[in-house]
Amino acid sequence: MSPMNGSGDLSSEMEVDAFRHLFPLRFHERHLLESIRPDGRPLGRARDTTLALGAVASADGSALAKIGCTTMLAAIKMEVMTPTVESPDEGCIAVEFHMPPICSPIVRPGRPAEVAPVVSKQLSDTILRQVVVTFSGMIDLKDLSLVSGKAAWMAYLDIYCLDADGALFDTALLSAVAAFCHLKFPMVSLNDDGRLVVVSGESKGGKSGKEAVNKEQRKLNLISIPFSLTCTLHKNYILADPTAEEESIMETLVTVVLDSSLRLVSFYKPGGPVLAFTSAVM
Amino acid sequence: MEYVNPEGIREDGRRPLEMRHLHAEIGTVARADGSAVFEMGNTKVIAAVYGPREVQNRSQQLNDQALVRCEYTMPNFSTGDRMRKPKGDRRSTEISLVIRQTMEACILTHLMPRSQIDIYVQVLSADGGTRSACINAATLALADAGIPMRDLVTSCSAGYLNSTPLLDLSYFEDSAGGPDVTVGILPKLDKVTLLQMDARLPIDIFEIVVQLATEGCKAVANYIHEVLLENTKQLEYRRGL
Repeated sequence: MSPMNGSGDLSSEMEVDAFRHLFPLRFHERHLLESIRPDGRPLGRARDTTLALGAVASADGSALAKIGCTTMLAAIKMEVMTPTVESPDEGCIAVEFHMPPICSPIVRPGRPAEVAPVVSKQLSDTILRQVVVTFSGMIDLKDLSLVSGKAAWMAYLDIYCLDADGALFDTALLSAVAAFCHLKFPMVSLNDDGRLVVVSGESKGGKSGKEAVNKEQRKLNLISIPFSLTCTLHKNYILADPTAEEESIMETLVTVVLDSSLRLVSFYKPGGPVLAFTSAVM
Repeated sequence: MEYVNPEGIREDGRRPLEMRHLHAEIGTVARADGSAVFEMGNTKVIAAVYGPREVQNRSQQLNDQALVRCEYTMPNFSTGDRMRKPKGDRRSTEISLVIRQTMEACILTHLMPRSQIDIYVQVLSADGGTRSACINAATLALADAGIPMRDLVTSCSAGYLNSTPLLDLSYFEDSAGGPDVTVGILPKLDKVTLLQMDARLPIDIFEIVVQLATEGCKAVANYIHEVLLENTKQLEYRRGL
């Protein structure tokens, strides 16, 4: 947000700010000519990223991810359910992405943001993908099974955007993966009716007669961890990790997701002008 | 069920007249005009204020004052069991209305006609006293946005269990079924703007409990003053004054 010329002259500060609001495209293009962006980053650098695990104490797994100012809070709650007939030893994951009006001035209550379902669909595709030919999903659903055919875990993943400043999908994916890393399965025991019931953390000494089905709280095994990067393309320039201002004026957006063995998991370019294949690969 | 053991200590180790630990931060949501995070013990609430800005629904525009809107949401994971419907259920709607009317009483709306002020409050972690924490967070966020107000609004809850008045109930004490009084005051003007109570209480005990909650509000007000003063110092420092 600091003005381009260093002098602290108040009148020229106002002019730069007004120029930025009235002619945003020219403002950014003048920066691109010098290979720099308004917040001082070179074209290929992403913003500072911070990650905090265990942000929500009441959830089984949670994480708070921040890329620059974009903030996402992800939390996972586990429930026991009966698995379906055609896959009796697989659990289930439900992914939901919310953009409450707190995150951005353009989101109004009652009407969800335009980008929210798009990011939501991208996220569930990346997390739940089960490739038939080569085995490379992030989580093996068989890991989520408790008693084959009778009980399995249902993981509800909720991601809340607390501040929207560009690169929403990147931050959301980062917080979701971190929440899964932090996830600990709650302890379960057989009820008197023969049903599995979740046992809360503290176990008072006097209450015996309930044996825990899984003794320790184990963690979930992640096969491969996906990472993503969003870039915008404008004329001949590729900008990595755009802010909301840059996203709104640039022509098109590309998101690339790689996994930990550097294989390409997903490539997403929703419309926009055609570009040469080589520049896209770069 | 014993909520206050014979030595006078509560379930979480506090004394009956002791509040939970308070913590507040201003300016957490970069895109909002004003924002704040307010924590009372384990209850954590984030509030964002957008405004004054253009009225989005022309038919609701008021020609002589600003329109104040408020929305209260609780994410699915904020309470112990996962909630099915995070907003639109009756409790959320009621609390949204309560917060809106409380803040409307203290914002100088006649200074900003034909505009709209939006207050969005989201509960990140709920452990009793969410209503109070929301009002305190909203006050801080409005102050951060620079919206003119008559005074701060602070709020605190109190109850009466095991024949002892208790200050700042946690979820465990709240779910005991005893009376729960929430009070919101304007501390400098010493006026009450919000007073809600449910369950039965004899009138003389009611006075004691309300008095206790008001004291709690004043303590919160002192803390909020400190936080705002610190924030102003930081702003001064950054501007190089």
